[in-house]
Amino acid sequence: MNDAVENKAKGLKEQLLENDRKFQETGCYAGITELKYREEDPMRYESLHTKLRSMSIASREMARSISASPGVREVGEMVVALYTPEGDAISLSTGIMVHVHTMSRFIKWMIQNGYEDSPGICPGDVFANNDAFIGTVQVPDVMVVIPIFHNDELVGWAGTVAHELEVGGITPGGDVYLAQERFTEGLFVCAEKVGEKDELRRDYLIRLERNLRMPIYWMFDDKAKLAANLELRDQVKELIDDVGLDYYKRATREFIEEGRRAQLSKVQQLMVPGRYRGHTFYGHLTEGKPGILPLGDENLLYSIPLELDVGGDGHMHLDFEGTGSWGYHSMNCTPAGMDGGLFVTLTQSMNFEGKVNDGAWLATDMNLPSGTWTNPDRHTVATATSWALLLPAFGIFQRLLSRGFVSRGFKEEAFVGQVNSPMVEMGGQSQYGSQFGMAMFECSAAGSGALGIKDGIDNGYVGWNPESDMGNMEVWEQGIPMLYLGRSIAADSGGPGSNRGGTAFTSLWLMHNTDEVTIATSEHSSRVYDNAGMCGGYPAPTAHRHFTVRDSNIQQLIDEQKPLPHSLGKDPYTTDLARLVEGEKKEVEGPHIDKPLQAGDLFAHSYNGGGGYGDPIERDPLDVVRDVENGYVTPEIAQRTHAVVLEHDEECNAWRVNPEATEARRKEVRNSRLNKAMPVKDWIASERERVLEKDFVTEVHKMYQDTMGISGQFAKEFREFWQLPENFTM
Amino acid sequence: MASYDKEIIRDLIDGTLPWQSTKSIMSQYKDDDRFFKYIDILQERVKFNDQILLPIGEHLYIVAKKSEPQGERVVKCGCDYEFGHYTNNWKLNAVINVRDEEEEIAEIYPGRHSYDPDWMEIREFICPGCATLLEVEAAAPGYPIVFDFLPYLETFYRDWLGRELPAETTRD
Repeated sequence: MNDAVENKAKGLKEQLLENDRKFQETGCYAGITELKYREEDPMRYESLHTKLRSMSIASREMARSISASPGVREVGEMVVALYTPEGDAISLSTGIMVHVHTMSRFIKWMIQNGYEDSPGICPGDVFANNDAFIGTVQVPDVMVVIPIFHNDELVGWAGTVAHELEVGGITPGGDVYLAQERFTEGLFVCAEKVGEKDELRRDYLIRLERNLRMPIYWMFDDKAKLAANLELRDQVKELIDDVGLDYYKRATREFIEEGRRAQLSKVQQLMVPGRYRGHTFYGHLTEGKPGILPLGDENLLYSIPLELDVGGDGHMHLDFEGTGSWGYHSMNCTPAGMDGGLFVTLTQSMNFEGKVNDGAWLATDMNLPSGTWTNPDRHTVATATSWALLLPAFGIFQRLLSRGFVSRGFKEEAFVGQVNSPMVEMGGQSQYGSQFGMAMFECSAAGSGALGIKDGIDNGYVGWNPESDMGNMEVWEQGIPMLYLGRSIAADSGGPGSNRGGTAFTSLWLMHNTDEVTIATSEHSSRVYDNAGMCGGYPAPTAHRHFTVRDSNIQQLIDEQKPLPHSLGKDPYTTDLARLVEGEKKEVEGPHIDKPLQAGDLFAHSYNGGGGYGDPIERDPLDVVRDVENGYVTPEIAQRTHAVVLEHDEECNAWRVNPEATEARRKEVRNSRLNKAMPVKDWIASERERVLEKDFVTEVHKMYQDTMGISGQFAKEFREFWQLPENFTM
Repeated sequence: MASYDKEIIRDLIDGTLPWQSTKSIMSQYKDDDRFFKYIDILQERVKFNDQILLPIGEHLYIVAKKSEPQGERVVKCGCDYEFGHYTNNWKLNAVINVRDEEEEIAEIYPGRHSYDPDWMEIREFICPGCATLLEVEAAAPGYPIVFDFLPYLETFYRDWLGRELPAETTRD
């Protein structure tokens, strides 16, 4: 047996320490300095990897048909993975690639905490976890793992994660926005043995049944996850019988080392070494809203700066120094969650071919400053909607990578990045008269950022699920007491650019056959955009509001066959709800946390578009007019932002470009830019006075107080940039 | 290993290559000889004769200056406007327009699409030479301007490309 293969007699804890030691000593995973099996017989080696990956994918597809949840069945919010005995990911299915290393952390946590002794790790055991401080992203990401024994030796783990649609928190749904501490996030399962002899324990299922608003989702999903794991386990055992245990153990470790090397060489192939920087912001608006506890009763502005250092060896170091403290809200994130963000980005930008596994994790590292939202220093902090800050943060990462791609010549890979896609979480009385809870996963179809060579994807992309799908309206209507009046492209929701950001959509619902629906939305920045453009492109407008009409006259409009609203409409100043409907109208800024709605009420929710790439007045006028014709861009924005002169042909009811007038208009815009703009150095001199006077609104002022307090480095850079006295504090 | 003609790369980076071909290139292993073909294409398009060392944006290039001080590595816009040494933030030598008033915000983000200028401003960094919009920042008022990219040029050329970087004369 090769010495890189663990000694069977050693306990898992010792094996784990031994692997770490070997990595420290050799720089290679598990001390594997040579890819021996790969070199000796590449066909056999690749065949094993392909089979393992196929098994993971087949297990996931099988499990999807067991699940009762539209989140898993329709949208595919699930991933199946195979791990080494020490918990390192070997191969994964398609699906939510977030969890390459989150489940890894969960398995390692059990090993490090002596689970071999108590509660014991035996054949047939089933373990579950949704505690982000142990290893997941957020409460609804419930993972189920089982050990794989070959004869009496533990040779690996099979694990499956799915996003649960209801977790029993203070507000209904999966992403519990109103959670302000751990104690209101919902049902926690903390690295718990939840089954034996290949079955979930009855008392565990009873706990789920009695603590969730809609237990059917989590319960059936857990059964689906267990079935996927059992399927994977049994197939892996058969494969081990076929290839031999020693070969399996060495080859699977080589896969991970190969993954590490592939990541480093991919960086060297696609990027340029250097220091990359970017930032974005997130506005949290909850002050005075119902259910906000005294400690959380404030509005917050989060700054999210990111520095990426790409070293000469291809190693990437991400640094979140300068971001803000954790808070009494649900948007905090744990290092496991940040791992999730890193992986979901890497697997879409450079780590998508060959060996997608924990090797890439070993080729990257992150500075997550303690006490910030990226790494809270107490485990009672709520993380139920950690995507709110995590997704914008890794959208920056995508832009930084893209800067490298553009520099290197691989412009087709440049991508302005993912955006948050705000979720609608709801619960109350269903249309069938029973209690319900649901996370509306149609958000899995936002607009993507633009690419370096083309427009972003319209209504069809989210960062966290590369198989993005909004699901059929009819399927969602089966699970919620709400009927769609419309699902429509939101004009002007993509960031302008020579390549436009992908557009988002807006849904408008009529509450139906219910006395009570509580709606709580999440991952939704207010007052500021939580994304950016690139190379002259603008960010997408992502500071949405919610619109409700209570006691509406919708039934009367239907009876009288009058026009109904199907969207917010194209007029940015007056919504179609305001124009067409009567009733108690309300515009809610920030997350929708409000009193319940009931049958006959209306609710509109908008998702996010992506940022643009390049100067908007360099956009091909024919692309602009096509956008106008198809409702992606309004004529007003086409003419103002893209400087395209359009003429409306009344007879054909079509827009046409006037090329000569457009050329003249664009020249005029260039002149006017120079007339209006001022030298940056002059602007800095005038802004410096504002900074010295601390002339900022409360939230901005608090943001600087916090970030300068928690990061000496940011405070120093801030003072240096504005040439402030050394003793300047905010 | 994949390799493409300059004409194909030209169409690819301009977004004019048919989608099927583009998709096929995106799905293939990358062409390792891309960089210098890319530089050649860009070099044909700029209005200066200085050698492009590295593009850092859509119209921004680090170049080795032909004029004095010869070989100095400066950032230039494609129109020939010079922003200073690449180790300094080019944005500091641009001109800026800040959208922090309702009317100006509404030109891009009208009505319910708008942001709150007390919390955020749009900063447009414009080339003083040709008025091209080079970068846009969305930042809280008072937030320092970002230095987007400082490449390790020597490492890149020597270790990753296996080429000598043209020598730079001593700076003042």
